[in-house]
Amino acid sequence: MVKEIERAGFPVVHMANLIPVAKTVGANRMVPTISIPYPLGDPSTSKEEQWDLRYHRVGVALDALTTEIDEQRVFDVEM
Amino acid sequence: MKLELGNFYVKDIEFGDETTYNDGVLTINKEEALEVVFKDKHITEADLRIVKPGDMVRLVPVKEAIEPRFRVGGGPVFPGVTGKLEQAGDGETRCLKDMSVLVVGKHWGGFQDGLIDMGGEGAKYTYFSSLKNVVLVADTDEEFEKREQQKKNHALRWAGMRLAEYLGEAVKDLEPEEKDTYELEPLTKRSKDVSELPNVAIVMQPQSQMEEKGYNDLNYGWDTNRMLPTFMHPNEILDGAMISGSFMPCSSKWATYDFQNFPLIKRLYEEHGKTINFVGVIMSNLNVALEQKERSALFVAQMAKSLGVDAAIVTEEGYGNPDADYIGCIVALEDAGVKTVGVSNEATGRDGGSQPLVTLDPKADALVSTGNVSELIKLPPMDEVIGELEALARDGLSGGWEDDEILGSSVKEDGSIIMENNAMFCGDQIAGWSPKTMKEY
Amino acid sequence: MKKAVVYLNQFFGQIGGEEVADHAPEIREEKVGASMLYDQMLDADVTHTVICGDNFMGSNTEEAVEKIIGFLKDVEFDIFFAGPAFQAGRYGMACGQIGKAVKEEFDVPVISSMNIENPGVEVFKKHIYIFPGGHSAAKMRDDVKKMTDFGNKILNGEKLLPAEEEGYYIRGIRHQYFLEDETPAYERAIDMLLKKINGEEFKSELPIPELDLVDIAPAIEDLSETEIALVTSGGIVPVDNPDKIQSASATRWGKYDISGMDKLENRESNAFKTIHAGYDPAAADADPNVVVPVDAMRKYEKEGKIGKLHDYFYSTVGTGTTQAEAARMGKEIVQELQDAKVQAVILTST
Repeated sequence: MVKEIERAGFPVVHMANLIPVAKTVGANRMVPTISIPYPLGDPSTSKEEQWDLRYHRVGVALDALTTEIDEQRVFDVEM
Repeated sequence: MKLELGNFYVKDIEFGDETTYNDGVLTINKEEALEVVFKDKHITEADLRIVKPGDMVRLVPVKEAIEPRFRVGGGPVFPGVTGKLEQAGDGETRCLKDMSVLVVGKHWGGFQDGLIDMGGEGAKYTYFSSLKNVVLVADTDEEFEKREQQKKNHALRWAGMRLAEYLGEAVKDLEPEEKDTYELEPLTKRSKDVSELPNVAIVMQPQSQMEEKGYNDLNYGWDTNRMLPTFMHPNEILDGAMISGSFMPCSSKWATYDFQNFPLIKRLYEEHGKTINFVGVIMSNLNVALEQKERSALFVAQMAKSLGVDAAIVTEEGYGNPDADYIGCIVALEDAGVKTVGVSNEATGRDGGSQPLVTLDPKADALVSTGNVSELIKLPPMDEVIGELEALARDGLSGGWEDDEILGSSVKEDGSIIMENNAMFCGDQIAGWSPKTMKEY
Repeated sequence: MKKAVVYLNQFFGQIGGEEVADHAPEIREEKVGASMLYDQMLDADVTHTVICGDNFMGSNTEEAVEKIIGFLKDVEFDIFFAGPAFQAGRYGMACGQIGKAVKEEFDVPVISSMNIENPGVEVFKKHIYIFPGGHSAAKMRDDVKKMTDFGNKILNGEKLLPAEEEGYYIRGIRHQYFLEDETPAYERAIDMLLKKINGEEFKSELPIPELDLVDIAPAIEDLSETEIALVTSGGIVPVDNPDKIQSASATRWGKYDISGMDKLENRESNAFKTIHAGYDPAAADADPNVVVPVDAMRKYEKEGKIGKLHDYFYSTVGTGTTQAEAARMGKEIVQELQDAKVQAVILTST
């Protein structure tokens, strides 16, 4: 789906855990998530910690949308 | 460590007054056998049936297959699971061959359950149609998961294991018809001739995706999600150290029977001392988070390097996100100078056009493909169904569906079915039996 | 008797040479030029011949295809042939373009032939059967024979063998196959292992295909003026799954209204849950925002970092879903995004 969206000209960020898969699938802008069943919030941590992580990584994704790239790129996260 | 498997080749199974084994015939006292099943109060109803190759019977939802055995000395067949912990793979175990205990739900199936046709066109899709099977068909009071797609199937699976041990006792005092001996000397104490042969290990990746307990494959009773890759003796796998879980979409599953008989391990044993020095088993897993996959690959590659492994067979109990572990391990091993051969299935979609594995890497240049998860299969009605046919469509079996615009329901009114290979019980026989490959069309 | 239609370029359709390469598409209810050869070899009647100039098709592809599909709507046919194109690049591309369109529109078998050097092979081998062909028209007879032999198999309902046996270029379509000699996987694995160890040649059962990447979309200049939509393959849907999206091998997607919502409420509150069967649903059911981060996006919207969070999120299930279905759903969602004038997307996977 991500390829069809980008093919149509929409800048799109793929947030996924399995970055190797995302790369193979052909996404160009990628931001890692922390796991498969809970990409943006580990239920074994506090609600606050989950929120901080989610807010941060979504922010990285938004910034990725504004970043020019010339090849596939995985954007780094800090938490 | 020396494992002696004493084999009894079951030619027929019937119900009778006493549970005995005589001249190839296993006789079962049904009442007594059911008492063993009902030991768990959670089992609300149960029956036993006997099915043989060629019978026009369809079994669904199938949850597990187990080979009946008896551990000489009296310990549990599955240490840490059906009894106390003890070392597996070093001693004598008696096995009832050419048969298995199949666990079938009376009603409720799930994503991880499958189907077996004992005869007709559908028989070729699973290994178990070639065995005589004692079928436990039962229901439980596990209300919490009755309507859930993901089921632990705990009561049923443990009942199956109890039943397999009960049946195994029929041969406890008998002299085996044939013995298979499995022995490997300690790695550093092998003869020069053997040590100079290429060092080969098998890397196994059992299913361990769920974070909650009760679903994953177990290693001596320990949840494989909570382990780091470790070094095991092949005898341990052949002698009950590993049991199957209840999560993997069925055609990719390794049933407990598969672990007990793991053909890839047995085949490596055959070559040991001749063309290879069989080092042993690197038991990894298939956790879900990327970091955990990377950590496991790291451990696998390090162990292989430190053990001086020259080549390895890598095999995964899964498709989809586990492919990332599969390819990840293969690449890590190749980077460490270990020549790899992978054994897995593919998921190319019903139209055959999807990418076969979710990740790809040119370093994975030697792969054996055992089948297509997504292959569409149409089968006619069978004379009898043990379990509940509707489960295939209703309960979210991985290869069945309730409603499709083009194909309709998986279960037709006349009892014929249309499904994906995904729901064939251990259908892709990744453990090694698979007579299927993948071809370009 | 079954019916066939043949597509030829201006030269093989006997219009003329290079000077009439811009010949507009036409259809004739008769056998013309090379299509007579097809008729001789086929277990079907060639009822119509479509002729189009290579340059016309090359420069006005959409128009040419539309016209030809239009002609064919009134024709009854069971099979379609294009070419053979030998090494002629424009002709090969033309055969591919029209072949692909005919397959999509009419779902009949489409067969072509091109020399391996023809660029049309790489571009279209996935979409239609393309047989390896000769360098030039000297191979006309041989090439047409290969195409019609295979065509006859299809028309006569014979069992089709794998690509390497039938002879056409590999299409990237893989199915399971029961080996005649039933050699089990463990035997094949050991054999491959010993060969690899000994430096001998072996054949992998899964040759690694090449990657297919899409062009990078330009970056957004000003986020604070941008409307962004959330899309997911994690199967987050309203608790009653109103669009009946399948839990695996999905062919349906849904769009769900989040206007006015600060976050997604969970399964317990009877709002949203996951139906994706390929992962542990506990976390997603407890807090769907961990899969579709509406709460974080809404905060960024309030802070003015983004212009607007689109009123709908789009959802389907990723496990087992074929690439073809995912691409179709992706295209349909793209249409919605275009109509709604969304400018960027964040897509979350599980």
